[in-house]
Amino acid sequence: MLFKLALTGIKSRFKDYFVLFSGLMAASLSFYMFLDLATNPQFLKSNVNLGYHYTSVIFGFGIVLLAIITFIYMIYANRFLLSMRQRDYGMFMMLGARNSRIALLIFLETLIIGIIGTLAGVILGFGVTWLVAKMIVKQLGLTITNFNAIYLPAVLWTFVFFICLFLLAGAWNSHKLAQSPVIKLLNEQQKPISLKKHPVLTAIEAILGLVLLAIGYWAMAAFQKLMLWSIPIALVTIVVGSFFLFDSLLISVIDWLRHRHQILYHRLRPFTLGQLKFRLRDYTRILTCVSILFALALGAITVGINFNTLKEQAKASTYYDGVITTSKVDLHKELSKLHLKKKIDYQYKVVSHQLYVNEQTLAANPPKTQIFYLKNGVQSYRTAKINYESKKGQSSEEFKFLFPEGLVVTSSHVVPAAQFERLKAPIKNVTYLQVHDFDQDYPVLKKIMLKQQRADPSQTDFYTFTKPVVYQLGLNIESGFTFMGIFLGLAFMMMLASMLMFKVLSGAPSDKIRYQMLSKIGARRSLLRRSMYQEIGLLFLLPGLLGVVHVLFGLQFFKSLIPQPYHEIWIPFLIFILLYGGYYLITIKLYDHLVIKS
Amino acid sequence: MNPVMNVEEITKTYGKKGEKQYQALKGVSFQVQRGEFVAVMGASGSGKSTLLNILSTLDRPTSGRVEINRKDITQLRKNQMADFRGREIGFIFQEFNLLDNLTARENIALPLTLRGISAKRIDPLVTQIATKLDIMGILDQYPVSISGGQKQRVAAARALVHEPSILLADEPTGALDSNSARELLQTMAKLNQDEHVCVLMVTHDPFSASYADRILFIKDGKISHQIVKGNQTRRFFYRELLDALGTTSD
Repeated sequence: MLFKLALTGIKSRFKDYFVLFSGLMAASLSFYMFLDLATNPQFLKSNVNLGYHYTSVIFGFGIVLLAIITFIYMIYANRFLLSMRQRDYGMFMMLGARNSRIALLIFLETLIIGIIGTLAGVILGFGVTWLVAKMIVKQLGLTITNFNAIYLPAVLWTFVFFICLFLLAGAWNSHKLAQSPVIKLLNEQQKPISLKKHPVLTAIEAILGLVLLAIGYWAMAAFQKLMLWSIPIALVTIVVGSFFLFDSLLISVIDWLRHRHQILYHRLRPFTLGQLKFRLRDYTRILTCVSILFALALGAITVGINFNTLKEQAKASTYYDGVITTSKVDLHKELSKLHLKKKIDYQYKVVSHQLYVNEQTLAANPPKTQIFYLKNGVQSYRTAKINYESKKGQSSEEFKFLFPEGLVVTSSHVVPAAQFERLKAPIKNVTYLQVHDFDQDYPVLKKIMLKQQRADPSQTDFYTFTKPVVYQLGLNIESGFTFMGIFLGLAFMMMLASMLMFKVLSGAPSDKIRYQMLSKIGARRSLLRRSMYQEIGLLFLLPGLLGVVHVLFGLQFFKSLIPQPYHEIWIPFLIFILLYGGYYLITIKLYDHLVIKS
Repeated sequence: MNPVMNVEEITKTYGKKGEKQYQALKGVSFQVQRGEFVAVMGASGSGKSTLLNILSTLDRPTSGRVEINRKDITQLRKNQMADFRGREIGFIFQEFNLLDNLTARENIALPLTLRGISAKRIDPLVTQIATKLDIMGILDQYPVSISGGQKQRVAAARALVHEPSILLADEPTGALDSNSARELLQTMAKLNQDEHVCVLMVTHDPFSASYADRILFIKDGKISHQIVKGNQTRRFFYRELLDALGTTSD
């Protein structure tokens, strides 16, 4: 009978349960998406050329962070569930249900809701993971190996984690409800929040918050000095710093505004600010999480997208755009397709493991190379001539590597044309190509390399240092990183936006009463709506802004990995603003439906 | 003289056509004159809440008309209704209906800010009404930290700060202890006498009703009869009221 009653309770509050379930699903979905990469060593090893140890440490911290955030999220979800049900359970107790039975009922209800939510989230996660992966790969033309949208260890760990959380939540709920007096369960609507705070303490908290953030930002920039320590230091200081900042500074600003009646007394502004103050107190933790997740998501996408600087670097590191070493294949068709700027031929002969180069061909087109140097700490390249004249006897290694046999000969010599003629060996040619636009001709240049490689596999090693091959390698590394960055970015994004959305919507029942009161004293609907847009808008904007600051400083961390982490930063920001804005619109739409329309 | 409120033959029927219908109001008519304190009494289910909802523009009658300050409020559109409420009507509810996230001062100022009155004029108006209701000392406190009686005074201040044409009170003493209730009623009577604030109070409590000049009795969706205080003292009026209740409940 009691179970039947409990079920009827669920039916009658469908809207609230819808909010709860979508919240739970979003949590398990994003958790699964993260684990899908993090628990797949094959994927990490084959796509992330960073050293597996390094990546697994980073992902380890990622899992810990996500677990903490999910845990906080679950506390909110659970509180929402409890507030929804406590009246019903109070009534059952009033009707004579025994405490132990009620405790069991609550425990089971929490667990069942949790399992259903997780299951739905993970199943939806398969689809979303597949779709997101496909979209990224297709849009950016990436190549990804060992990636599975359905990955069993990730499914398993997601379930283990969430079931543990719900066991905990269930035990907590049954303990809490069974201990509370019936009368409290029936009447408890909202606990008054203590609003007084000592101004000196608030000031200290604000300063401490700023100092901690500064330490965190420094730790990110000082990666070279602190190495892997910089991650935990930054993590702790930035999380705590953000919390203090939200807890003190923002509320002080609102209080300050509320004391300026010139500013305060305008239409519904007193109400909007009052709501915000209450909300911020209650939201401090969630806003902190959201700002951190915002930074992680935006950072991941920025880093992901900026990995093309690796490709650019690959391009800058070699001087010539292509090379032809063999006459065994017919390359006329391909060559005619190229937009050639210059074609340079060098003649050479190999006599008993010695390389001889015709000086005349060298003098016509002195060979060049790219030299690596640091420009203001940024990795750069400049063009320089390869000096061969002063080393007529023995040429430099660099010079040797201009020729396919350079890897196997013992030494190389530059000889005048007449002497070159006299050497008893067949004349060989190496032709270097320069095009007007490498990106445009890359497919043809790649084809030229592949054709030659197939015809003469012995020279594969030589090709390793040519531009199309180096470029291809950069592209592959980049694919892994770009994919991972954008994929994780989107997963974090979903997590943070659903978290915020859930928190806002879970406040709807108590807000409904407030909006009704305002309507009774003559506030127009349009005014109520505007107040709501502003209030929720600020709740979205504040962690967003702090998140952006986190990212701008945090990108320093990646300087050793990507030469220009701030390159074209507006692209990820734009993507993010669009997605985040979309979530905001959905939230106010739902909220409007739950609070103002009904 | 024009009445502040003119109610003509209003009916209210719940339930759609063809389904089982229930008529909560069956043709109610009365007038409230300027400066009058009128109480509407009735048992639960008599239709007094429905009547109050219609008078306060929160609900529409099925037929009939309600004029407040010569304006037919049954013909207003949504925004007009909201504006009308904000301008012409002050409310006091049984459960206070204060916004818990605003201080008493902000709660009182709200009807003024909603009407777009400049900030400069708001502070003196709030101080003025707060002095009259003796709540100056608690203006910067939140509803959660003040007593029920104080809450209702704050609610009354909010209802009166914009000088509405009529004050509608719905069981204003329902959630108060007897002392607070008496104090609130005395204040309302005083405001009515000194400031000529027009009051319409719905209640089922004879003691509260005895503070009015005239009492309308509502029963089964109709006004059954009324009694007028005239020149008699409140104590005699109270006795007459109890007698009237004794006869009507038979």
